[in-house]
Amino acid sequence: MNYLILLPQMILVAIAMLIPAIDLYGKDKARILPYLASGALGISLLFLAIFTGIIPLEIFDITIPTSLFGGMLVIDRFALFLQLLFGTVTLFVVMASSTYIKKNERNQGEYYSLLLIATVGMMVVAMANDLITLFIGLEIASISSYALAGFRKNDKKSAEAAMKYFIIGALSSSIVLYGISLFYGLTGTTDLAQFGTALSNLNSGQDGLLAMATIFLIAGFSFKVAAAPFHMWAPDVYQGAPTTITTFLAAGSKKMGFAALFKVFLFGLISFKADWAIAFGVMAALTMTIGNLAALKQQDLKRMLAYSSIAQAGYIMMALAVATQYALGGALFHILTHAFMKTGAFIIVAMLSVMLIGSRVEDLRGLRIKSPITAFCMAIMMLSLAGIPPLAGFASKFVLFSSAIDAGGWLIWLAVIAVINSAISLYYYARVLKEMYVLPTGKNKPIRMKEPLAMLIPIVLATAAVIIIGLYPAPFVDAAMDAARALIP
Amino acid sequence: MTWVEFSYLIPIIPFIAFLIVAFFGNKMKEGGAPVTIAAVASTFVLSVLVLFDVYQNGSYETSMNWIGGTGLEVGIFIDNLTALMLIVVTFVSLMVSIYSLGYMHDDPCKRRYYAEIALFVGSMLGLILANNFLLMFIFWELVGVCSYLLIGFWYQKPAAASAAKKAFLVTRIGDVLFLTGIAMLYVKFGTLNFVELEHLMGHDVQGLLLPALLLFAGAVGKSAQFPLHVWLPNAMEGPTTVSALIHAATMVKAGIYLVARSYFILEHVPDAFLIIAIIGGITALMAATMALVQYDIKGVLAYSTISQLGYMMLALGAGAHAFGYTAGMFHLMNHAFFKALLFLAAGSVIHAVGSNDMRKMGGLHKHMKITSITMLIGSLSIAGFPFMSGFFSKDEVLSSVWHAAADNNIYYVLYAMGVITAFLTAFYMFRLWYMTFSGEQRDKSYHPHESPKTMTIPLMLLAILAAGAGFSFFFGFQDFIYFGHAPHVTIVHMFEMWQTWLSIAAGLGGIGLATLVYYKGSISPSVFTAGPGRRAVRHMLEMKYWMDEVYMAIAEKGVYGFSLLMDKFDRKVVDGAINGISSGGIGLGHASNEFDKGVIDGTVNGLSKASFKGGKLLWNLQSGRVQDYASVMILGVCGLIVLMMLTGVI
Repeated sequence: MNYLILLPQMILVAIAMLIPAIDLYGKDKARILPYLASGALGISLLFLAIFTGIIPLEIFDITIPTSLFGGMLVIDRFALFLQLLFGTVTLFVVMASSTYIKKNERNQGEYYSLLLIATVGMMVVAMANDLITLFIGLEIASISSYALAGFRKNDKKSAEAAMKYFIIGALSSSIVLYGISLFYGLTGTTDLAQFGTALSNLNSGQDGLLAMATIFLIAGFSFKVAAAPFHMWAPDVYQGAPTTITTFLAAGSKKMGFAALFKVFLFGLISFKADWAIAFGVMAALTMTIGNLAALKQQDLKRMLAYSSIAQAGYIMMALAVATQYALGGALFHILTHAFMKTGAFIIVAMLSVMLIGSRVEDLRGLRIKSPITAFCMAIMMLSLAGIPPLAGFASKFVLFSSAIDAGGWLIWLAVIAVINSAISLYYYARVLKEMYVLPTGKNKPIRMKEPLAMLIPIVLATAAVIIIGLYPAPFVDAAMDAARALIP
Repeated sequence: MTWVEFSYLIPIIPFIAFLIVAFFGNKMKEGGAPVTIAAVASTFVLSVLVLFDVYQNGSYETSMNWIGGTGLEVGIFIDNLTALMLIVVTFVSLMVSIYSLGYMHDDPCKRRYYAEIALFVGSMLGLILANNFLLMFIFWELVGVCSYLLIGFWYQKPAAASAAKKAFLVTRIGDVLFLTGIAMLYVKFGTLNFVELEHLMGHDVQGLLLPALLLFAGAVGKSAQFPLHVWLPNAMEGPTTVSALIHAATMVKAGIYLVARSYFILEHVPDAFLIIAIIGGITALMAATMALVQYDIKGVLAYSTISQLGYMMLALGAGAHAFGYTAGMFHLMNHAFFKALLFLAAGSVIHAVGSNDMRKMGGLHKHMKITSITMLIGSLSIAGFPFMSGFFSKDEVLSSVWHAAADNNIYYVLYAMGVITAFLTAFYMFRLWYMTFSGEQRDKSYHPHESPKTMTIPLMLLAILAAGAGFSFFFGFQDFIYFGHAPHVTIVHMFEMWQTWLSIAAGLGGIGLATLVYYKGSISPSVFTAGPGRRAVRHMLEMKYWMDEVYMAIAEKGVYGFSLLMDKFDRKVVDGAINGISSGGIGLGHASNEFDKGVIDGTVNGLSKASFKGGKLLWNLQSGRVQDYASVMILGVCGLIVLMMLTGVI
């Protein structure tokens, strides 16, 4: 049975339906819900691991790639790679949420249910091979995350963040939809696999229309990945949303945007590379520069990390400018490492607020005594984000940047800008280290505090991942390159 | 199955020990010392087994891909040179860490000490085992970081903190040049693997001089060669055990090892050999003269290390066919033993006296016989007393330089400098010994006592090697460590050469003069300062040829001036530009505000405030108003259209 390959998603949907019911009728539900959600994610990940062959069990009769619904969904290495990533990020977020979302908070059923639904939406995007399924997946994930951003509706910041996110999101969705309709008008199909041949038969007079359609898709998806100049919502929303949701947005939802961009441009429109590569190059340079410069001055940790994640989106976007298999592999690898780094860093921020330490950069002072392990993990995350060897961030940046250098031409300048940006970013990442380890703690001596275990586990796991990937990146690079090969043969 | 297959454990074990001690050391005896000692001991055992394997089966290499698709690898390469270095480093480190049990017993920060020692040793072993220049560089930097941490171990002392910084910064100059050299090699050959490079070297030897010299520059920084030697004397601010480790095994030997390891490159650029030899000769002589005027017992030893490192460089610079490679590495091994011995003995003295100042010592022989005798053996060895280990290696160094002189007359000058250095070395070492141990105790305010067994046993073991290791040259060493073809020197042959007698004369002459001045007292030390000329020379030596002052001037006038200029640039130009952009942004914000005023009014202002505060730079556009964001998005779409038009797509 071919449809078994959708088991991971089916499980998530089933549990997502079950959770609100339990929330209504169950007892002690605040304790059960996160277990249920993480259980669903765990089983889903298990199946994905079996499909990819990480767990060498051949209990399903499944071939990779599999095409479903007349080619609307294709489950290939690319899809599986990203699905595993999305599932892992959500699992970490759910674990952290079990402590971050307090027992007496309202609407917990919706919270976990929407998280799972959003994850399914992201997974659909990873599998989509048609602009319609792509859009549906995008909207499933987006609409769920608008609601999640406003989960604490009595918190004005959370409500404001959700409102902004929704308005800008709706605008960008309409732009995407307009772009899709133009493509459909030009080619008569929404199947990405047929774009190449369909578009090559265009009349010369329709070039302008094609360019407009391309621009609309670039603009619409760039909102999702928060690339400049479509990034302005991100710092506000990241800061206002509950921190666990911020984690989800930065580490998961943003990567879905890249999945969509890769699918459309590096798969569907790859034969028109010359038309759009330069646009992505300019946006990548702009995005990383704006992100890093703005991060320099931020005092709020969440806001600083938000800008840092804008800058990282700029690095990843380089792959769209280079548009080679190697670059895509580098981007997917960086998406993987960045997911771990940002998950770890944001969950640390969430934990600091649970521990009532605060979320400003200077609140980190004395953390080395209050919670040495958190300080250590944060230090690893910061160093890795800055790209210090031998951590994961270095390895992935290295592959990404060297792909641009390999491509040659103007892309070398893009790599130079990226390297300069990395150097700039070191400043604000180092500021965190300085607060934690160098500056004296002042008069009131900090005391050792107890960390909530449910948040510490994902933090330590993410840190371990960052170190392991950094020390021995080869298998992860290979996996990313396999995934890239599925799109660009 | 062979032991070399487990050689990857050699650096890993100390790293694991580092983690264990760093996290759990406070709960263990002596701050985790047993873990560190056990780890170092097991690396020593492994190194011995590896040495036998290599002796029987030849060199060994294993590696794995590190970052896919880039050709960068993580791997181990073991040949005779590696095996020798492993033995030397692990043995000396073992002695030092055992000795530390006694020396650091009363220090409150023992956990940090043993953790950092384990890391230091692990990094050095990684450096030795690396199979390519990049991996070597990574460990090279780790060694640098550890030396920074350990020199500044007592960071409460301002002198220690600044010494640590000085060591870190000065060696950094060499490191940057080294990295540049690596990059040049990579660009030229596309690989950094030693074996592959050596293979490629046969085809293309053009333009190798610059990369070769850049590699050597790295060694100059790390091995404290002229003109980057200034950090090493200050480095004694750390615990004496750390000095012993840095001087004898882990840090400064890395530079020598690098030069030896790069021999396959250097042999194609004879000019580089000459430069290495000249730098080595200058360093040897200059440092020996500076050691003459030190009153700090560790100061004398520090300058003597620089001087002896100069000797090693001098030998390596003599080239392969003059057996400089064998001589240099032989001296490295012997120096590791006698310098570790001397430093640890000095530590024992400092432990008893509570001061580094030799003017407060004297007459200690009565109270600390073991320390005194072992130090005497070390001093005899470094002074080149016949049949001690230092005698053989020094003689090999000098004779290789003499051989090299057959091709280039400059080596005659270097040979002369080497002989003078040998004389000076013998003199200042015996000045040290007599001032410390003979005569009467000059400062009676303390009661010296012999150090505990954990300290004296390493001393005795090292003393045996410092005395006897020299004979190993004739029993295997010269057939094991060589480049090209092995030398065949016999003891009988050695004594047939007049050069051998000259170096014996230099050594005995130095010892004799020191005896007359500091033991018999038949020549007063004031002879050296009688008259303005002599006083000027002495002043110059005490000021260390004003090298520190020169560097300070360069740093202050040059670098600081430059940074002032940059600051001005920053304030005038960059800030101006940013202000300009942001006022443009405000204008744009106002315009768009007018445009859709009231479309979505009355969203909460909490975030807008935050973003206003947060984004003072050019982010006034980041107003927190969602209508502004939407306008910017539309502007972005327009921008993309313009871009596409500019690039000619539309």
